[in-house]
Amino acid sequence: MNGYAGKILRLNLTERTTSIIPTSDYEQWGGGHGIGSAIFFDLVPDKTIDGFDPANVVTIMTSPLCGTLVAAAGGRTEVQGIGVQSYPIGWFTRSNFGGRFSAMLKYAGWDGIVIEGRADEPVWIDIRDEDVQIRDCASLSLWGTNTWECQQSIWRDVVGNGSYGDWFSPRGPRNGHTTQRPAVVAIGPAGENLSRVACLMHDAGNAAGQGGFGAVFGAKNLKAVSVIGTGHIEINDPRMLLETRLWHKANYAFDLADLRVLSTSYQFQDPPVPIALWAQGRPPIGQRPQSCLGCHSGCRARFADGKGNEATCFTTAFYPDAASLDIQRATSDLINHYGLNAPELIWGLQYIRFLHQDGLLGTGGIPPCPLDFNTYGSWEFVEQLVKMIAYGDDGSGNESQFGADISNGFVRAAERWGRLEEDLDSGILLFPYWGLPVHKEPRAQGYWGYGTLLGDRDINEHGFDWLKTLVYVVAPEEREATAEGIVKVITDRMVPFDGDMEMLNFSESNIYSEHMAKLVSWQRYYTRFWKQSMLFCNNRWPDFLNANSPDQLGATGIAEPAYVKAVTGQDISFEDGVYLGRKIWNLDHAIWTLQGRHRDMVHFVDNIYDQLPRVSVDAGIPDVHMPGIEHGRWGFYGYSQRTLDRDGFDEFKTRFYRLQGWDTTTGYPTRSALEALDLGYVADELEQQGKLGDL
Amino acid sequence: MNSQHDKNVSLTRRDFIKVTGTILLVAGLGDQPARAEGASQGCTLPGQFLLQADGIPPADGYLLVDIAKCQGCMSCMLACSLIHEGVESLSLSRIQIMQDSFASFPDDLTIEQCRQCVDPACVTICPTGALAADPDSGNVRIVDKEACIGCGLCFQACPFTPSRAVLAPDDEYDGQAKSRKCDLCTNAPFHWVAAGGGPGGQQACVAVCPVGAILFTDEIPEQDGDSGYRVNLRDEVWGILGYPTS
Repeated sequence: MNGYAGKILRLNLTERTTSIIPTSDYEQWGGGHGIGSAIFFDLVPDKTIDGFDPANVVTIMTSPLCGTLVAAAGGRTEVQGIGVQSYPIGWFTRSNFGGRFSAMLKYAGWDGIVIEGRADEPVWIDIRDEDVQIRDCASLSLWGTNTWECQQSIWRDVVGNGSYGDWFSPRGPRNGHTTQRPAVVAIGPAGENLSRVACLMHDAGNAAGQGGFGAVFGAKNLKAVSVIGTGHIEINDPRMLLETRLWHKANYAFDLADLRVLSTSYQFQDPPVPIALWAQGRPPIGQRPQSCLGCHSGCRARFADGKGNEATCFTTAFYPDAASLDIQRATSDLINHYGLNAPELIWGLQYIRFLHQDGLLGTGGIPPCPLDFNTYGSWEFVEQLVKMIAYGDDGSGNESQFGADISNGFVRAAERWGRLEEDLDSGILLFPYWGLPVHKEPRAQGYWGYGTLLGDRDINEHGFDWLKTLVYVVAPEEREATAEGIVKVITDRMVPFDGDMEMLNFSESNIYSEHMAKLVSWQRYYTRFWKQSMLFCNNRWPDFLNANSPDQLGATGIAEPAYVKAVTGQDISFEDGVYLGRKIWNLDHAIWTLQGRHRDMVHFVDNIYDQLPRVSVDAGIPDVHMPGIEHGRWGFYGYSQRTLDRDGFDEFKTRFYRLQGWDTTTGYPTRSALEALDLGYVADELEQQGKLGDL
Repeated sequence: MNSQHDKNVSLTRRDFIKVTGTILLVAGLGDQPARAEGASQGCTLPGQFLLQADGIPPADGYLLVDIAKCQGCMSCMLACSLIHEGVESLSLSRIQIMQDSFASFPDDLTIEQCRQCVDPACVTICPTGALAADPDSGNVRIVDKEACIGCGLCFQACPFTPSRAVLAPDDEYDGQAKSRKCDLCTNAPFHWVAAGGGPGGQQACVAVCPVGAILFTDEIPEQDGDSGYRVNLRDEVWGILGYPTS
């Protein structure tokens, strides 16, 4: 099993026992998400349990590419289980974080970790190669620490009497040695206090942010998982792997001697410029880029003052009105310390500011809010807010119903305040699907919202998002040809729907069409396998267009299978992977169906159908320009200033379900669709639970 | 970081016996100049390089690094074990990146590479001559794994921390401990080009580094202190990306 460690660690926290699942039992699913879903399906007989239930199973999975030289795929880790963030119920969901955890897990000899049960006291998991211990937090006083303090305490424990900077043997003399610090994923106070918006943190800035997995850990009395590995990963064809990486580097990665793109590090082509979205930019101080293990282009940075280290994306976008750059950077650290999901905080803070502005806090069903909005922008304000969410109190250790409410997430708070429907409809509570914060504008980038609704979480998959930037770089007279040409080269790669250019036509007449159903399907399939099971990085892949390549075409479709071949020896074609993604997607959908998902539940909040975006172009916000056909001509057109049509979206769902082979009345999977994917046993379970669809 | 200090390494009992036996063997050989003459005439005994211990020529190649430019991806480490052992392993890598996610730049990260020392303690101490300057490879300090007895003396003798010699079990030798050290990819079974590595070829860590933080040179760096090996490889383009260049 080249690329695989060969075994998965199974932990029962209730019994404090460990056992082994042979990876070969689940190898057919590839890795990561596929294996996680399959294990979850097998180990959780009652899929309707709550995420806080000790019977909830959390999987932390790697891929055969983790820990290897594969570009932008060596450092991701996939986390799954029943979440606690989404609404009205916590769906079976996933999150994902970068860094070096998955690599270290494999060097220790494990392809993944399966966590069951609930410890009777707070514990942490100490993995040193094949030695695994479930240890009480008390001896290191870990419970109550923030995510950074926790990791550093564990680091000190693992190195024992030695110090980092030299070789040491984590399991004592006569065993393997390393110079590395253990990779730790930990929760902070937010997770300990079961905040539904708590995340998992690894190193300074890698977060599994979505799903509330911090609270799921907290409910299991699990503070952290630490792993140090001194072993190795077998590679099928080492020379081919090195050749592939160097070919990829030479033809598709940035070249500092010939820099063709000057952008923050999103796409494969981009140079290592951190995705630091602080309102006042990056500080003019010493800094370096910092990347996940094996990545060619760091998307984070570390700074001379240590502030904002490895913070990225949403974490840096929070609190843009901070009085100074230093305060905003410290705020990024703050939410990483406490272990909180940044998008929830961004839109949640906006929500309570609207309520404050309208004089509603402390009136009606809303409890008094301890925050002093006159100090908005200050460090004291944001620190108190973050503590309120993390601890469920007033931020100073005193009881506060308001703090307790928002600790459960802002949608559940609004529900408790009797304001949910009104505030979702008006748009001041920008959580348009499954009680989750908005990301990309659903009215313009339909596939993003559709994919989220048909799934379980903000998809956060950027493979087509960059299309909206082209309007700013392509001259007006070239846009028609450019749009058509780009759409053609992209859709030509989208097997098995290749050749259907209408998939990327975002015009009003096309956004509920069969073509759009194919686009959403393709993205669900591609990402489920290549990005979430093989763990190619979300930002870097797919790589459709690339300014560094001689023909401007990216490596997607070529590079992914080549890397898998080099590492594992398996001949998995690009289309094979998309097919496997479809299989995994069907399994996930079956789990949601068993949880209670029905077609009738799958819809946006009314605001998306009834109103234009609250923050509109009239307020100076740029329109979202996507490819489309208007008056018979391709171009990049602004599509955010429209509403979605209820009937249109309903027709889209029918087309989408039909394309999957699912029951168009209920949305339930059908036996024929599942058996075609070799998932007959899943159909059996659905039938037993009365959830199997009819064609 | 680079001062000599007590090594945190433990030898197995088997290793201890080997070391002891080797010392005795070498001590015995030391009294027999004729043995050395044999080596100089092309004898293929493992100790053939012993004669060079007192007059080791400098290597024809060296790796220089820019610690402030490194992005911590550890691709160099992955390439190192891949090209030499055909596996991915941080513990087998001859070049070591160590970083602290929470520390402040530039002290958050260091790169520790073999210096191909002009006066190589690892070569001098090797009791079997397994670690020697190889004249066929530009005098790069190379471990002959057949001859290496895994005693760990090179690991101990390396004046830098962490030791640039890497002592680990070797699957090709039934798990017997073998020393490894940077050979500039001279003996790299999985090298990606036919011409291979070494001072006249290509080194995997240099080739794979995404940001150009590792540089090969054939000029002997300043041997005292770190300045000869830790250099500034940041140009104005690096500055355009928002990073310090000085």
